[in-house]
Amino acid sequence: MIPVRININTEWREILVEPGERLIDTLRDRFLLTGTKEGCGEGQCGTCTINFNGKAVLSCLMLTVQADNGHILTIEGLQDGLDLHPLQTAFLTESAVQCGYCTPGMIMAGHALIKDHPEPDDSLVKHCLANNLCRCTGYEKPIQAILKAATEMKEKSHD
Amino acid sequence: MRNTPDIKEFHRPKTVTEAIGLLSQQDNGTVLIAGGTDLLPRRQSGRTGVTKNKLVDISGLGLNYIRETQDAFLIGAATDINTLASSPVFKTSPYTAIIEAALAHSTLTLRNRATLGGNLCNASPHADLALPLLVLDAVLVMEGPHGQKTINLDNFFIGPHCTVLEPSEILTEIRIPRMPEKSGANFIKLTRQHTAIDMAVVNAATCLSIKNGICISARIALGSVGPHPFRAKKAEAFMENKTLVKNTLQTAALFQEAAGLAAKEASPIDDIRATAAYRKEMIPVLLQQSLGKSLERSLS
Ligand SMILES: Cc1cc2nc3c(=O)[nH]c(=O)nc-3n(C[C@H](O)[C@H](O)[C@H](O)COP(=O)(O)OP(=O)(O)OC[C@H]3O[C@@H](n4cnc5c(N)ncnc54)[C@H](O)[C@@H]3O)c2cc1C
Ligand code: FES
Ligand code: FES
Repeated sequence: MIPVRININTEWREILVEPGERLIDTLRDRFLLTGTKEGCGEGQCGTCTINFNGKAVLSCLMLTVQADNGHILTIEGLQDGLDLHPLQTAFLTESAVQCGYCTPGMIMAGHALIKDHPEPDDSLVKHCLANNLCRCTGYEKPIQAILKAATEMKEKSHD
Repeated sequence: MRNTPDIKEFHRPKTVTEAIGLLSQQDNGTVLIAGGTDLLPRRQSGRTGVTKNKLVDISGLGLNYIRETQDAFLIGAATDINTLASSPVFKTSPYTAIIEAALAHSTLTLRNRATLGGNLCNASPHADLALPLLVLDAVLVMEGPHGQKTINLDNFFIGPHCTVLEPSEILTEIRIPRMPEKSGANFIKLTRQHTAIDMAVVNAATCLSIKNGICISARIALGSVGPHPFRAKKAEAFMENKTLVKNTLQTAALFQEAAGLAAKEASPIDDIRATAAYRKEMIPVLLQQSLGKSLERSLS
């Protein structure tokens, strides 16, 4: 077992992990953060997307030991108390969710994008979602939701 | 709890020397991990070449940098591909071909983890970044128990997933020499589907250096159509000393002939993405486009 220290949704955690333990399993099985989903387990579908040090990454393609001393944000970390994050609200109001399996991954990909590009255009959002497969809603509505959330977040920051 | 099969140890050395020490220990079974985007899925699916169970992480070795010197650009092997893609350093011709290849590599999300060193060392026949680096005459710096060596990228690959690197050596730096003025380069990638996640059916890069209207140096590299990315040297030799004028029939005919020669140097195979015959036909199509772009860029 290897000791690691990881900041998960703003709280530092110290744990012992197996050298081959995947980050997605640590999040889901040790911390019960089951918002992050596993689809393919090999980098294709993006349902496992989280933010690591502010960037979108696939938690199925990272070992937990690789995240040592880093900052992780999962879908559970977006909400502010009972208030949904603007991205979560936009996915609801734009009807960008059907079964919802792909949704946490899409939102976390969008979250990292908006942090680096507060005013993304359509094409940038498409690139951002290129690693996220959706089998029911399609892509148009998630794209609209991310654009809408970006606009709202920008307006809020000016308030 | 699911575990990536059989990973027994994970080492986090702080220096290159320490990492080489770990790789050189007797009882070997150590292998380097950079981003892990190639190594980990390969293990999951139980594909070949995953007999080594002790991982040595290179992310703490200070190999994530892009520097400029008077005569070269220096890239640390552990630099991630998004960092390359957004580097202002490569915004001028002919280095823009590096950005083109970086943006064609996988997806925005994967590129946050995938490194340049990993792209070269996994030695996939499809490796996107290998192509602009081949046409830009990149030199690799490797460190091992017997010190430092440099080698041209052109001599690095020896087969599919096979390079000249010894198991105890680390690729530390990629050097790109400054090209003559009036050089232009281009990267081009044909994929099977219009989604971002796919390896190339054919990928290629070209670079032309022009002086007084004459081609003083030509580089043509092909991927996915041989055991590893390679330079089509007969086609390169054919282009040299030719007078090139953009958008003329004469120059188009020269490009066509060079592209045909390059296709003869390729040895594609049938696989899930395309047949060998289709790949062979696509090589000249892509190369003519690429040479045209490189010429245009060399003149602007
Ligand atoms: C979904 C998906 C899509 C992909 N799409 C593309 C694509 O479009 N184009 C493309 O070219 N590739 C693609 N890849 C393949 C691949 O992940 C990358 O090429 C990537 O750049 C590898 O970098 P890494 O840092 O993750 O390598 P790792 O997985 O960490 O390492 C790869 C290999 O290189 C060795 N290695 C790494 N760094 C060094 C070093 N400094 N010195 C010595 N050996 C070293 C490792 O031991 C290992 O054998 C894709 C992979 C996935 C999963
Ligand atoms: S589960 Fe990670 S990309 Fe599919
Ligand atoms: S909503 Fe079902 S997969 Fe996207």
